[in-house]
Amino acid sequence: MNTKSKLKKTAGLAGLVVLLFLLPLFIKRPYYVHIFITTLISIIVVSSLRTIALSGQVSVGHAAFMGIGAYFSGVVSKELALTPWLTIPLGGLAAMIVAVFMGYPFVRVRAIYFSMVSLFGGIMIVNIIRVAQKWTGAAGLAGIPPLSPINIPGLMNITFLGQKVPYYYFTLLLTLVCLAFLYRIEHCRVGMIWKGIAQSHMVASTVGINEAGFRVLALAVGCFFAGIAGAWYAHYNLVVTPPAFGFLPSIFLVMYMLVGGRHRFSGPIVGTAILVMVPELFRGLKEYAPLILGGIMVIVVFLMPQGIAGLFDQMKAKYGEVRNRKVPGNAV
Amino acid sequence: MGIELLAQVAINALMLSSMYILMALGFALLLSIMGVLNFAHSVIYMSGGYICYQLAVVFGINQWLSLVLAALIVGAFGLFLERFCFRPFFGDPDRTIVMALALIVIVESAVNILVGSYVRSLPSFAPGVLRWGGVSLSVERLVTFIIGTLLMMMLIFFIRKSKMGQQMLAVSQESVGAVLQGINIYRVSAVATVIACALAAVAGSLMGAIANLNPYIGDQMLVKAIEVVILAGIGSIGGVLGAGLILGTIDSFLPLLLSGSATDAVGLGIVILILLFRPQGLFGHEA
Repeated sequence: MNTKSKLKKTAGLAGLVVLLFLLPLFIKRPYYVHIFITTLISIIVVSSLRTIALSGQVSVGHAAFMGIGAYFSGVVSKELALTPWLTIPLGGLAAMIVAVFMGYPFVRVRAIYFSMVSLFGGIMIVNIIRVAQKWTGAAGLAGIPPLSPINIPGLMNITFLGQKVPYYYFTLLLTLVCLAFLYRIEHCRVGMIWKGIAQSHMVASTVGINEAGFRVLALAVGCFFAGIAGAWYAHYNLVVTPPAFGFLPSIFLVMYMLVGGRHRFSGPIVGTAILVMVPELFRGLKEYAPLILGGIMVIVVFLMPQGIAGLFDQMKAKYGEVRNRKVPGNAV
Repeated sequence: MGIELLAQVAINALMLSSMYILMALGFALLLSIMGVLNFAHSVIYMSGGYICYQLAVVFGINQWLSLVLAALIVGAFGLFLERFCFRPFFGDPDRTIVMALALIVIVESAVNILVGSYVRSLPSFAPGVLRWGGVSLSVERLVTFIIGTLLMMMLIFFIRKSKMGQQMLAVSQESVGAVLQGINIYRVSAVATVIACALAAVAGSLMGAIANLNPYIGDQMLVKAIEVVILAGIGSIGGVLGAGLILGTIDSFLPLLLSGSATDAVGLGIVILILLFRPQGLFGHEA
């Protein structure tokens, strides 16, 4: 890639981020801000799911790890009266620890068997959360404290309770930080090793890569960010219920990733943004709104084999070819 | 534990197993023949129950006839499913999964729009209680078990003895080789999808009379079907019977000891444990 197109790309990204930061100035309805916040949280989770998928393991129980983060952070901050700023990273750590303990035995199974075992594992986690009623509540955990106010005398005083806009800014920041981490991890040595394992675990093992270790590492990283996102969601929504982390939400996360395109980093971001926000535009249609979602999915499946984010590549492949044909002297 | 309770739990286990196996056989057929992870099996199961309800309760057709009709209608839908939803994406699991998920979204919201999301229930297929010695059993559960077993045996017989069944086996073992031998892989897939959909519809109708009907009943059944298929080992049709029996037994005996969600957690824990010691499934061959 030459420097010019790289510069263009960076400028475009910066413009997008600035636009997102200016968004609350244009959008006043709290409900719309709410949609943006939940979309951003989902983007973190789906991107972390893609990080796991890089190593060739598609986890179909990812929402459960979000649930671990949410419940851990919620219960700890409620019972011990700790500040959520501390318990949110702890929630991520809790999800990571569970992922490591579950991941080690799970490396024995590969491909579709891994997906299915992770599906069962996810449902099991949700059921365990249900069983631990003493702490997690019968129907759901209510009364989770909101993010504690930031008060720097003379500089700023931000309160979160009942406010959407501060939540929006901090969620945006969190999303950017998480995405930056995930991007770095994917493009460093570890990410390369994951991709190698995904292509052929046999070859990876023969060149001295610890397959089990790196697959567990992928799970740990992915579930850490899912846990953080879940914990953040808990302190935003203030109520969490087990069904929000069950079978269907897990499958929907996979769906966001696949519709966006799993071969590009932007895939989960684009996919989640479109699949969450476009049906919201048609909210007036009430029970017909999910049909819009289904329609988008069918269009994507038929017209975009590599997902929405792969559309650009698809176009380039198609029209680049035409251009070459027109100017035969241009061939390499 | 009294003998009566034991007998009731046993018939419950057999009934549940037979329903799990009906679902799982369809799922396994699609998975091994087409390589499709058909998450839409949940909505097929659910729509089978709803169509039966619509025919029997709203239109007032004889309930057994509407069961057969529901199976036929959903089977015909399977033809559409194979031709337009799975065939275009042959050999591309990502896209078939998205297609199946799109089907879930579309069919669930369609049912929500057409009949509403509140809970309904089919009337009992065979009301009454069978008393035998000191033991009383629900006739309905017994009949459900018998129907399930009959269908299951018919399918196994079909696969083992008929030409089409043998072709199915061949495709599931080695699809390229099967095509080279002149087997029409699309026709085999179509027949498999129709069978899978019809079986799911029968299971949905029968369970709709025993439990309730709502647009989301399929999810749990789908998870059970996947559990059975994975536990049996992908590609093993006979193994589905054994795995279904194990799972049905676990699911009907555990509630005696534990309550609610703990049952599901322990049941899944047992399945995961078995899989960790035998990653290829109980009856599977390939690693």
